[in-house]
Amino acid sequence: MQKVQSPFSGRMQSLDQIQRWMQTVIMNMGGARAGVASDAAQEVIGVAAYHIEQVVTRSRALDAFDRLDIYNRSYFARLIDCLREEFPAVRHAVGDEAFDAFALGYLRQYPSRSYTLNDLGKHFGDYLLESRPDDGGGEAGGVDLGDFITDLATLEQTYAEVFDGPGVEGQRLLSEEQLAKVPAERWLEARLMPVVCLRLLSLRYPVHRYFSAVRAEKNPPYPRPRATYLAVTRRQYVIRRFQLTREQFTLLAALVGGETIGTAIERVAHSPRAKLDALADKLRRWFTSWTAEGFFERVELGPT
Amino acid sequence: MISARLGHANLGLGVGLRTVHFNYILQNQPAVDWFEVISENFMDSGGRPRYVLDQVAEQYPVVMHGVSMSIGSTDPLNFDYLGKLKRLADSVKARWVSDHLCWTGVAALNTHDLLPIPLNEETLAHVAGRVRTVQEYLERPLVLENPSSYVTFADSTMSEWEFLSRLADEANCGLLLDVNNVYVSSVNHDFDPAEYIRSVPHERVVQFHIAGHTHCKTHIIDTHDDHVIDPVWALYRLAHELTGGVSTLLEWDARIPEFPVVHAEVLKARRYMDAELAPAEDIAVVVPATQRRESQKRGRDLENAKGPVPVFGTRASVPHPLSFIVPEVA
Repeated sequence: MQKVQSPFSGRMQSLDQIQRWMQTVIMNMGGARAGVASDAAQEVIGVAAYHIEQVVTRSRALDAFDRLDIYNRSYFARLIDCLREEFPAVRHAVGDEAFDAFALGYLRQYPSRSYTLNDLGKHFGDYLLESRPDDGGGEAGGVDLGDFITDLATLEQTYAEVFDGPGVEGQRLLSEEQLAKVPAERWLEARLMPVVCLRLLSLRYPVHRYFSAVRAEKNPPYPRPRATYLAVTRRQYVIRRFQLTREQFTLLAALVGGETIGTAIERVAHSPRAKLDALADKLRRWFTSWTAEGFFERVELGPT
Repeated sequence: MISARLGHANLGLGVGLRTVHFNYILQNQPAVDWFEVISENFMDSGGRPRYVLDQVAEQYPVVMHGVSMSIGSTDPLNFDYLGKLKRLADSVKARWVSDHLCWTGVAALNTHDLLPIPLNEETLAHVAGRVRTVQEYLERPLVLENPSSYVTFADSTMSEWEFLSRLADEANCGLLLDVNNVYVSSVNHDFDPAEYIRSVPHERVVQFHIAGHTHCKTHIIDTHDDHVIDPVWALYRLAHELTGGVSTLLEWDARIPEFPVVHAEVLKARRYMDAELAPAEDIAVVVPATQRRESQKRGRDLENAKGPVPVFGTRASVPHPLSFIVPEVA
């Protein structure tokens, strides 16, 4: 693109200049007038407010700033609306005003770089974590609000990811019969391959209950902190979640990480020997249940 | 000699496929002529949206309409995006692929808005070159829509209809004539919408869009949240006469009513296809009083919300597209 010097020399701005300038203006949180006056915009097109119509013209009814403000307002309103849709429980938890403030800060820190709005909230949990104040963001009735809403955002982001991401609908998954056919002597070296839509979450708060209550249009209190472990997956295009014990989470996380069943079991078999029989019994039930719920695509045995 | 509609069929009266109607459509298989889908909502989907699209595509003609090609941007074309677009188009046997004459962002950012371009020779050469590249890559003609816009540039040297006409000719692409957008922009930029409709190359018009909007007294926002108003139907009648009739699609993207209401709205187009019928302004378009009031109220809200503070919670006053899908959790 040809670049020219001054907007007021009678020459045209290049297309690239106009686009960079306009984007800077409409993404300015102070509105179009502040956007035009900003250093970033002035570096691209150094136009004073009284000369604005040498860049953007007026209509009979609106001046150039009014017209630019339509885009400026729409930019924030549209994207905040999308974040509200993606994080309804976080919004409920903190209220509209605080949510919008978070969303504004997020859009400034992480402006969209994707062609799809489905990616817009991808870093929202990260942003909440990064932007929490040193005091944790406040405390209410023993609830650390920073931890709580970060966990809640993680859960909602996981749901969005699992809902529209790749799944295994229409595929044959590992069956209980196939699992039962694994020779006992090869059981410990086997690897259970998780379905592509399985996610495991380790959280500080039982935010899944809070989420469900918000969805049911109740007004739940903040939950008390409690270590919470969840498996989130999808069957027949509907998200399903399972609460896990810490032992189950540890075992599943090891399996999802690619470890053999034997190694994964070792991670939870730190109990005294007297309890190992009980563990073996539990393991049978867990593997059977998780297989029935479609957590695993297949079992892989190493070379004989 | 260019064949009418660039050789594409007139698919009849279609409706935009929206998430809130998924269950209704799958369960009832309504007698809609065709569906248009927002490309970006499906090109990465491995979940229910894509499943629904596949079901719909088995039973109805499907057209893909994009919001993120950013054909007017000075950023490089995104070939990763174009690759996904092509794969989806092939997979659902899209009758054609459309997007907007706009840019959505530069410097690798996306504002997710359909931003206007200065209409001059430099921009024309730039966009025409990109359209040719995209068409070569997609191995099909691109169909470009006139967007609604809210600013014009001092550097523009031609009208939008002249720009579109020359672009279509130079890049050999099709046009999606959004009749509502012509009306919206005509109010926002003080031009005659009928002149616009008369001036575009009619043989290159592959599709029409019609939609509702929000009038804010000093300007109109293209909100797609209401019934089509009489003046837009009048323009539609003119466009229909001049083109000989092309595939017509109703967009309804905010405050979306039940599917039969949306379908009934597009079927009103039949009244305007017959020149023997009364002029458009004599045809009553039934808009529930409550919806009129709500729409007008939002218009006032937006108008009163001038100033530096961004306005939130004005979903219905936000120009489309809101291409976002809410997950279902068991």
